[in-house]
Amino acid sequence: MTLNELTQIFDTVNFGLVVLDRDIKIQYWNRWMAMHSGIPSDQIVGEALFDFFPHLSTPSFNKNCKAVLSFGNFAFFSQKLHSFLFPFKPDSSFGYRFELMQQSCTMGPLRSDDNLISGLFLIVQDVTELATYEQKLIEMNTKDALTGIYNRRFLESRLSDECERHRRHSRHLSLIMIDIDFFKKVNDTYGHQCGDMVLQAVASKIVSVIRKTDFIARYGGEEFCCLLPETSAENAEVVAENLRMSIEEMTNSFESHSIKVTISLGISCFVTEDSPETLLKKADEALYQAKHSGRNRFVRLSPV
Amino acid sequence: MIKKILLIDDSPISRRIMKSCIPKDRGYELYEAGDGLAGLETYKDVRPDVTFMDLTMPVMDGAEATGKIKEFHPEAVVIVCTADIQIKSITNVLGLGALMVMKKPPSKETIEDALAKAEAHIG
Amino acid sequence: MDYCQNTISDEEKEILQEIMNIAFGKAAADLAEVINIFVVLSVPYIEMLMAHDLPVYIKSQVSEYGRVSIVEQNFWGEFKGSAFLVFQSSAGRELISLFGDGSGDFGSESIDALEKETLMEVGNILIGACVGKLSELLGDAVTYSPPRVVTENTPNDAIPVNIFESGSSAIVLKTVFCFNERNVHGFLFLVTSHDSILWLKKSLAAFMEQYE
Repeated sequence: MTLNELTQIFDTVNFGLVVLDRDIKIQYWNRWMAMHSGIPSDQIVGEALFDFFPHLSTPSFNKNCKAVLSFGNFAFFSQKLHSFLFPFKPDSSFGYRFELMQQSCTMGPLRSDDNLISGLFLIVQDVTELATYEQKLIEMNTKDALTGIYNRRFLESRLSDECERHRRHSRHLSLIMIDIDFFKKVNDTYGHQCGDMVLQAVASKIVSVIRKTDFIARYGGEEFCCLLPETSAENAEVVAENLRMSIEEMTNSFESHSIKVTISLGISCFVTEDSPETLLKKADEALYQAKHSGRNRFVRLSPV
Repeated sequence: MIKKILLIDDSPISRRIMKSCIPKDRGYELYEAGDGLAGLETYKDVRPDVTFMDLTMPVMDGAEATGKIKEFHPEAVVIVCTADIQIKSITNVLGLGALMVMKKPPSKETIEDALAKAEAHIG
Repeated sequence: MDYCQNTISDEEKEILQEIMNIAFGKAAADLAEVINIFVVLSVPYIEMLMAHDLPVYIKSQVSEYGRVSIVEQNFWGEFKGSAFLVFQSSAGRELISLFGDGSGDFGSESIDALEKETLMEVGNILIGACVGKLSELLGDAVTYSPPRVVTENTPNDAIPVNIFESGSSAIVLKTVFCFNERNVHGFLFLVTSHDSILWLKKSLAAFMEQYE
């Protein structure tokens, strides 16, 4: 095959191809790269890569270039860790959640006839669509479909991670179990559609009250569980009272009805002997007491 | 004037490579040893003019053997020939009195060069 | 098939040993010089095995490690096979501090993901250096698959049983490496299938020819 024929192929393929010399100057820039970067080949060939993409000049990228140039190994820049090397707009915005194209890149050596490494190539693959699917899958696996908050499975795996971490560093960790009072009545009176609306409203209210670093999950039918890292018993009580108040103040309108609900809350605080199970059990017991001492309140069992 | 050369290396292949690189037309007498300790004994027996020394060897490694040879005979000319070419290892053996360090594999040129340096050193 | 064609002689083993010695010496020196990675590589050992005995062999070598992390990478050229880098599973954490950029810019990635990526990057470079120098001395240039990291309770679960046709032989090149600054050590196994043996025998002969 002639060089001309090869160039035609390189300019047609659906991925980026960049050739760099030993000084990381661009020797070749295929049409895909030109199209997505908006920089035509004749403007960039012969120039230093880092002049055009200064953010690439990191210790890790440089280390990888040097390794490839001296050992002839391949370097892989996964989408998982790097998201992308070149900041390009996604090919199509349809259904994509990423502002910039997600890329998986491979770097390898180029050898001259005497087998010495004369430069390196970079292949840039657009994996935005794949990354979007992956994100959707993760979401489906970790989120509750109705309320959009985390599901029970996610919370339980997070809980054991957090227990382990807090035990290691002996930090505060609190958990609040939340139940909507007389929820069955809402369902029976106004129908399940209304019940679903209330669940959504309560979930988003809770999300707006807690910190970004806290986790809220739908634990059962009308039961929620809130995990508060780095939170002492006293602060957990403050959070619980805030939650109780905001739900009490909230009015939901469904068709012509306005519906008000309250919640009961049970708080438990992590001690080193706790396992995820005992922490949940203590919160459940506290919730039970809150229910039986009149509802619309929180209870924290004092440590034995 | 170099007459006797001692090769200390645990790998027979490595000694074979070394021998093939040493000029054959100068009447050098070649002696071999397969580890540091055997090398030290041979050194004492033969009193070679130049010793080529590997570093990683069983029984006694090349660094220790170099030290022992220089202790026994401070004028000894030891040329370390090794695959371990990290700066730390090189400075270590130079500190122990090796004349120079050359990296493996040797070639006719690098051996010639090392022998010339040894010759100049002996004077 | 002629058995002699399928195995390597003691002399060929010695030659390979010496070539590996030189290759790994160069790899270590370049790693230090070019990218400031200071690693000590032990004198390599060579073992001829049946492919199906491989998992058991590797397990017996690293038995004192308990839980392990393994970086696996395939390489192919004339010289082709798989590289396994076996660390104690705690090594990932140590290596982050040794190789991290210090940028800490890993977004929401958990420490586990970071450890995995670090192992992958270190593995990629270490395997690339060793295999690269070795194939260079043997007159070959190889291509690599992306590395894969497996963390398992025992090496048995982590080593794929069927990497080579069962009944085929394999050459195992073993070396112990150690990152001095952090006291992180592990094993590097290069396993090459019998497909490479004929080529290997030729290259070893060609290497020695320079010294006849």
